[in-house]
Order: sequence, then structure tokens, then C-alpha cells
Amino acid sequence: MFKKILVANRGEIALRVIRACRELGIGSVAVYSDADRNSLHVALADEAYHIGPTPSKESYLNIAKIIDVCKKAGAEAVHPGYGFLSENEDFARALKKENLVFIGPTPENIEAMGDKLNARKIMQEAGVPIVPGSPGPVTTEEEATKVAQKIGLPVIIKASSGGGGKGMRIVHKIEDLPSALRAAKSEGLNFFKDDTVYIERYIGNPKHIEIQIFGDSQGNVVHLYERECSIQRRHQKVIEESPSPSLPPEIREKMGEISVRAAKAIGYIGAGTFEFIFDNKTKDFFFMEMNTRLQVEHPITEMVTGIDLVREQIFVALGRPLSFKQSEIKQTGHSIECRICAEDPVTFIPSPGTIRRCRNPQGPFIRVDGYAYPGSTVPMEYDPMIAKVIVWGDNREVCIQRMKRALLETNMTGIKTNIVLLRTILQHPTFIDGHYTTQFVEKEISVNPDIFRFVLDESFLIAAAITAYNDRKSKDTSRLKITTRWKDMARLKGLRN
Amino acid sequence: MYFQAEQKGIKWEINVNETRTHWSISLKPETKDWSHYEMPKSSFLELDNAISFIHNNSSYVFDVVGSGTDYTVYARGSYRVIKIFNDEMLLHESLKQDGGLVGSDKLSAGMPGKITKVFAEEGKEVKKDQPLLIMEAMKMENEIRSPKAALIKKVFVKEGDVVESGAALISFEKSK
Repeated sequence: MFKKILVANRGEIALRVIRACRELGIGSVAVYSDADRNSLHVALADEAYHIGPTPSKESYLNIAKIIDVCKKAGAEAVHPGYGFLSENEDFARALKKENLVFIGPTPENIEAMGDKLNARKIMQEAGVPIVPGSPGPVTTEEEATKVAQKIGLPVIIKASSGGGGKGMRIVHKIEDLPSALRAAKSEGLNFFKDDTVYIERYIGNPKHIEIQIFGDSQGNVVHLYERECSIQRRHQKVIEESPSPSLPPEIREKMGEISVRAAKAIGYIGAGTFEFIFDNKTKDFFFMEMNTRLQVEHPITEMVTGIDLVREQIFVALGRPLSFKQSEIKQTGHSIECRICAEDPVTFIPSPGTIRRCRNPQGPFIRVDGYAYPGSTVPMEYDPMIAKVIVWGDNREVCIQRMKRALLETNMTGIKTNIVLLRTILQHPTFIDGHYTTQFVEKEISVNPDIFRFVLDESFLIAAAITAYNDRKSKDTSRLKITTRWKDMARLKGLRN
Repeated sequence: MYFQAEQKGIKWEINVNETRTHWSISLKPETKDWSHYEMPKSSFLELDNAISFIHNNSSYVFDVVGSGTDYTVYARGSYRVIKIFNDEMLLHESLKQDGGLVGSDKLSAGMPGKITKVFAEEGKEVKKDQPLLIMEAMKMENEIRSPKAALIKKVFVKEGDVVESGAALISFEKSK
């Protein structure tokens, strides 16, 4: 067993890893930047080390500093969380060179799936259905036009090194193709230093359904079924659920088998997720990309399968075989996760600042993975997600009611949050019937400005008016005190004379 | 005490009366009538960072953040941005302009960030929602658009500037 693990991350995922370490009796080493000094993960870890100024490049992305802390603290392994260095093969290699364990896949796994074009090719060879598209990179307008005409419009141009929704352009009309190609290439160059792009058919009624897989160093691979993550806005997930309400059971099994086969084909070790585009009309599914790390939304899989994924990551990193067989993995009940983000629910502009009041939901079958507490700060330099509220229920209906209940109990002041947006989505008939696509939030919610109807306008005004009244009253009273002080001074002078 | 307030673009008139046992609050949105609320002080609580009272038979906990004229009020996962003016402030405003509530002719940064692109040019006219500049904050690029059709008077920032929350970005010529 490891004696100490360094958590190379921050926020709620750092807490998640620290908790798994604690439950296994492993010492947890936290790292923090200037802005995170009062962050909850620093307070709860066994040890904490300062690794630099707030900008990520100088702290959480700094490989040399992290390895330095490992040596100082005597940590034998590093858990990278998600984001930051979790899919950085240079980091994985650097740790290997220092005889430190990277709790995750091999550097070769990361490299293979990190280049999306290469990943497509590997998946195709492994028999995984991929979205019809260009066989390789597309460089000229003529090439692009030929591919688009062959696979049929609409198409999407994607940057090969891209991610997070950047470096993508959708083309509906052939005459828009040249400018979209130029834009995608330039975004790829600006954000990912690589202007290689390829083209895929753009699926019209897309659902984002992903399969969680787990591999060990002995070649065993299992799948832990699916998560649906179609509630997105600009490719950022907002609400996730498991199981997917639209997936027929036979397709579920097929997607699981194909993912396991593909993971075995590349010798994948650790937790990984295959992301698929699912066409709700035709029930076809196509490989989109593979994430070679633990996902933000992993808790819903944990709730439904009863398996602790971070604990298993640590076991696999120790070289043990998987703790479960495919036949033992079952989906029980339903789980939903809502991401609480410090942002304006209408404009999505981030709202960093200090949290004043903070109330997390509690009660049966509620789980909150968050790092907010009264007086904590949400720095502006990092991700605006501050908490994940996860619920479990016997079935989807119970789950939705329970999540609505949980969000009613959730209260954070001092920063704007997207709670009213989440509540609006959960009440929407399209979410309730389960057939929502990735277009749902942008097409049906974002255009409807009435998400502030949960508390009457008058109630807020009354509170503001009373506060303004009290502010004014206290100013008047302090003027009174000054008058009295003048009197006091005069009296004192009078006495002296 | 008399106030004028603005919330979600609607102007309100407010009267607050305090007795030993009650709060008496009257609200009037523009184009509608006055509505009155009586709140016994026994149901009014002052907490850490919040006030609590019972309105329409329901208990609310409000966190009112701000001072002077600008407040953000949080409750039940929701919030409102409210501008509120007491009679002294109304007098100041009416001396500065032609009376009534102040229309903002300055665009300020809503949060700290770095200016990455400036489209606005001094002396040029812009339309409502026209992009004026791009500010980078929290790993995202935020496009800042013009709140109204106006003539740009002065641009206070340039590409690469790091600004604090509330920093003046652009000023507009006074609208007629």
C-alpha cells in the first residue's frame, strides 16, 4: 500500500482523492497556489505544500515543482485528478523517470488517445463505429469540399489537438466551408499550437453518452455502463445522469462490449471513458473521443454501481487485479448530478468572489462534492465549478424530485450561481421525458429569460429597502454622535477654564 | 422613508415606515399600483450576513450585499441586482442630470480580468449589443457588448491591461 499520495489538483476533485486516501489509511499531500491558501482541500489534507503563484502554469501545471514536492514529502504516487496534468503524457513520463507512480493510464495510452485523429484510426481498426469523416487531416479547401460532399452536409470541422469545445466549426452550407476551415485551423493554432484539422459528419439529434471502463495491469478490462451528459452549454456539461433514459438495453450492452474490446486493443490501464455520439432517431452510436482520466461526473456511476472508482484507481496503480468481474457489475436505481458553477445563469459570465453564506443539501441519498464554505473564495483564475450535487433514487422520477428538493436546500450567497438554471432545466418537459439532445439548453433554455421566477421580485425589493433604510438610519445616528462630541469638547473646555 | 429602485430594468417606488412593532413597506412598479406589506418585527431576524423575515407566510433568508446605491440580493439560490436611491441620493442625481433615475453612461468591469481585444473607438457610434471589447477571466473569453446605442466618448483601457472589478472601461456621450 502507498504511504503517501500527492494530489496534483485543487478544488472538489482534490477533496475526492484526499477522502479516498483517508479511507485507505494513505497519507494525503496537497499542493496549493497563492489563491488557494484558504481552500478546503488544503485544510483537509494531511500535509500541504505551497507550489507557486496563482496562474496555473506557475503552479498546478508546473511538473518540476510537483515532483519536487513529492520528493520533499516522501510521496510515492501522484493522483492527477481531471484537467491540469491528468492527460499530459510528459508528466506521466517524468514521474516514471523518478520512480514515482502516476495513478492513471500509461503514457502510451495517453498519447494514443490524445491525438483525436490517431484515436479515430485506432478505434476504427478495433472495430468501433466512428462518425463518417475524412480519413485523415484536411489541409486544403478542395480536400475539405470533396470530403463534405462525400459524407454529406452538415459537417463539423475539428482540431485534432483540440478539446473542450474549442477548434470546432459546424458547416451547414458548402459556401461557408472555406471560412470555417480557416477559423478552425487558426483556433487550433492559437489554443493548442496545432492547426491540424479533420472533418466529420455532424449528427443532427445528438445525445452525448459515455461508457466508463476500467483496466488493470493484468489485461482485465470491464465496463461500468453509461452516463448521459447531453445537458450541455457550449460543450460544457451541466447535468449528467445514469442510466441514460433513451438507451435501449441491447444498445447499452453493445456499447459496453465495444468499449471493453477497444480498451483491451490499446492495453488500457486504469479508469477511462469512451465518449459516443448517440443519434436518438436512428439509435446509431459513433465514437467521439476517449478521456484517459477520471471524469468530473464519475460520482453518478459510483452511486448506481456501488463501486468506489478512486479507490479502485489506487488499487490498480498498486498493480492489483480489478476488484470486480463484469458479471458482478449492475446498475441499481438512477442517479443525477448537477454542477453548481459560480456564474451568471443567463449570460454565463463567471462570478468569482467570496462566498458569504453556504448551505449544502443534506438528507437521504444526497451527496455533495464541493469545496465551498462560508468565507471561502472562488478565484477567477480557475474553473467556475464549485460543487457537484449528486442524488440517487430508486428510479428516474424519484431522482428528479429528489434533485429538485436538494437544489431548493442549496444556497450560496456572495457569488452568482447557476442554481436557478438547473432548477429550470429539471422542470422542463423535454428533460422530464428524457429525449433531450445536446442542443436542448442552447435552443430551449438560453432563449427563455424567465429563469428568475422562483422568488418574487417584490421579496428582494423589500429586503433591499429595509437594508437601505437601516444603512441611512445608522448614518443619521452617527451624525448625532458627532454633535454630542462637540458638546463634550465644549464642556471640557468650559471645565478647564 | 422614500426610495426609488431599479430591478431587471423596471423602476419602482418604495416607502418604508418603521414603528416599534412593525415594518410597513409599500411598493409601486412603474405603470402599476401600490401594494402594501406589513411585517411584524417579531418575525424579523438579523443573522450573520443575512436578514430573515416572513413574507406571504413563507420564511426567507436574504443576504443583501453592497452599499450606497448598488446591491446584490441573494435568496433561495436566486439573486437580483438592485439599484436603490434614498431621497438624498435622488437629489444628487437630479442635480447632476435632468432628473429621474440615472442612466449609466459608463461601462465598468463586472469582475477582475485582462483585456485581450478592444473594438471600441473613441468618437464612433455603436449599436445596442455591439461588441466593444473582449475580457479574459476564469479561463474564458467574455465578449462585452454595448448596453445601448451610443456614441463612445473615451476608451480607458488597451489590449493587455489587467483591470479590477468596477474599473471604468468605456464612457459614452450623455444620451439625450
